[in-house]
Amino acid sequence: MFSKILIANRGEIAIRVIRACKEMGIRTVAVYSEADRNSLHVRLADEAVCIGGPKAEQSYLNIPAIISAAEIADVDGIHPGYGFLSQNAHFAEICESCNITFIGPSAQSIRLMGDKIAAKDLMRKSGIPIIPGSMSAVKNKEDALKTARRTGYPVIVKASAGGGGRGMRVCHNDVRLISALMTCQAEAQASFGSGDVFVEKYLQAPRHIEFQILADKTGHTLHLGERDCTIQRRHQKLIEESPSPVVDPKLRRKMGELAVRAAKAANYTSVGTVEFLLDQDGSFYFIEMNTRIQVEHPVTEAVTGIDLIKAQIRVAAGEPLDFKQDDVRLDGWAIECRINAEDPSNGFSPCPGRIAAYHQPGGRGVRVDTHVFAGYEVPPYYDSLLAKLITTGETREEAIRVMQRALDEFLIEPLRTTIPLHKQIFSDPTFWRGQISTDYIDRQLQLGENE
Amino acid sequence: MDKRLKSSEREAFRLIEEMLQLMESRGLVELEMEHQGLRIRLKKASTSPTPQVVEYVAGIPQPIAPPGSAKAAEDTHRIVIKSPMVGTFYRAPAPDAPPFVEIGHDIEVGQVVCIVEAMKLMNEIKSEVAGRITEVLVDNGAPVEFGQPLFVVEPPQ
Repeated sequence: MFSKILIANRGEIAIRVIRACKEMGIRTVAVYSEADRNSLHVRLADEAVCIGGPKAEQSYLNIPAIISAAEIADVDGIHPGYGFLSQNAHFAEICESCNITFIGPSAQSIRLMGDKIAAKDLMRKSGIPIIPGSMSAVKNKEDALKTARRTGYPVIVKASAGGGGRGMRVCHNDVRLISALMTCQAEAQASFGSGDVFVEKYLQAPRHIEFQILADKTGHTLHLGERDCTIQRRHQKLIEESPSPVVDPKLRRKMGELAVRAAKAANYTSVGTVEFLLDQDGSFYFIEMNTRIQVEHPVTEAVTGIDLIKAQIRVAAGEPLDFKQDDVRLDGWAIECRINAEDPSNGFSPCPGRIAAYHQPGGRGVRVDTHVFAGYEVPPYYDSLLAKLITTGETREEAIRVMQRALDEFLIEPLRTTIPLHKQIFSDPTFWRGQISTDYIDRQLQLGENE
Repeated sequence: MDKRLKSSEREAFRLIEEMLQLMESRGLVELEMEHQGLRIRLKKASTSPTPQVVEYVAGIPQPIAPPGSAKAAEDTHRIVIKSPMVGTFYRAPAPDAPPFVEIGHDIEVGQVVCIVEAMKLMNEIKSEVAGRITEVLVDNGAPVEFGQPLFVVEPPQ
């Protein structure tokens, strides 16, 4: 088992990892940028090292600084959290070469699943349904147009090296497709270092269903049920729940088996997530695999009773899983709301600033994962996530009611946050009925404007 | 406040107020500061000896290098050379070689003052200021973090 872990991240996920380590008797080392000097994760860790300036490239993406900090602190493991270097195969390799365990899958798995085109190809060979579209990077306009005509409009142009909902554009005709190609290629080159894009059929009103994977180093792979992350804005998740209101036990078994097969095909170890799109006719398709712990992992923890970070650390330390697929049960219902420092009434523009008053909800059925506190200055350099509010109930309806009263209790002033938007969604009968698709938020926002 | 106080006394009060705020926010028991010829020392009255219920307080994380070595130089007469990277601080190019600089040495802009080793690479740290080394703040072989003060330099008069 590890004796000391460095957390190569910040914010709420850094605290999440520190908490798990503390409970396991593992010493923790936090790294921080100059902008995060007074951050909570710095205060909670046993040791802390300042690694660079405020910008991510200077600090949390600065591999030499992080490895150097790991060496002087003499750690035996690095947890990358999510975002930043968590899906950077090069970083995973450097950790290995420095004899520090990267708490995640192998660099190979990261690389394979990070290449969306190669991942699709692997899935196809493994008999996992994929979305109709190009099987290799778009070579030219004609190539893209041919693919679009074959699958039928609308189509989506995606960056092969992209992720997190960035570098994508939906097109409804040839003209839009051609202009989208150029923009996506340029964006992809700038953001991800590769201008490779591909074209896929765009599913109308699908649901986003993802399966949590947990695999140890002996090859024992299982899934921990699904999460429904259909409520998104510009492909960024806002609300997640487990289980999904539209997945019955039979579908769960079917999709779960395919998710496990996908992970095995990639020789996957650690935690990861296989994402599917579920169409209205009941057909589903693999879209991508995320080779890291995800923001929304708490909803799976709530319904399965499994601590995913501890499991991830144990697996990384070489321990075999001590339970089987049949032991996994989903009990009750859990929902998570992402509370972001954004103004929904102003195009979701980020609203950093000082939190003057803060009170988080509590009581039975409420969990809040956050790094903020009264007096905290939200820096402008990083993502806008302030807190994750997770509620549980015996039924979906109960989880929703708990969420409603918890949202009413949540005080984060004077910042503009997504709390009002969440309140709106949770009082919407359409949401209660579970009749939603990925265009729900856009339609909701339009409704809000029309009022 | 009495308006008839001299400006130097007002200055002293201002400094004391700042020091009190600093002590509160950092939880300090004793603080001494020197500013433009004025030296002030504040010390909290000792706490009651009767045992109290102590709440669990998150431990203050240990910086990798001891805090005593990080004397911030706010004074305009002192300049601090800070580490531009994380690593191990070495005063000399090799274990048996003389240090790059000693206290009392005059240095120029661009002069190598130390090495910070990171990932087996020996990075020569060049000074961005000219002046005389008055303090060496880190021990040879000690770990340093980004922005950690290494040397105090007195600028040329």
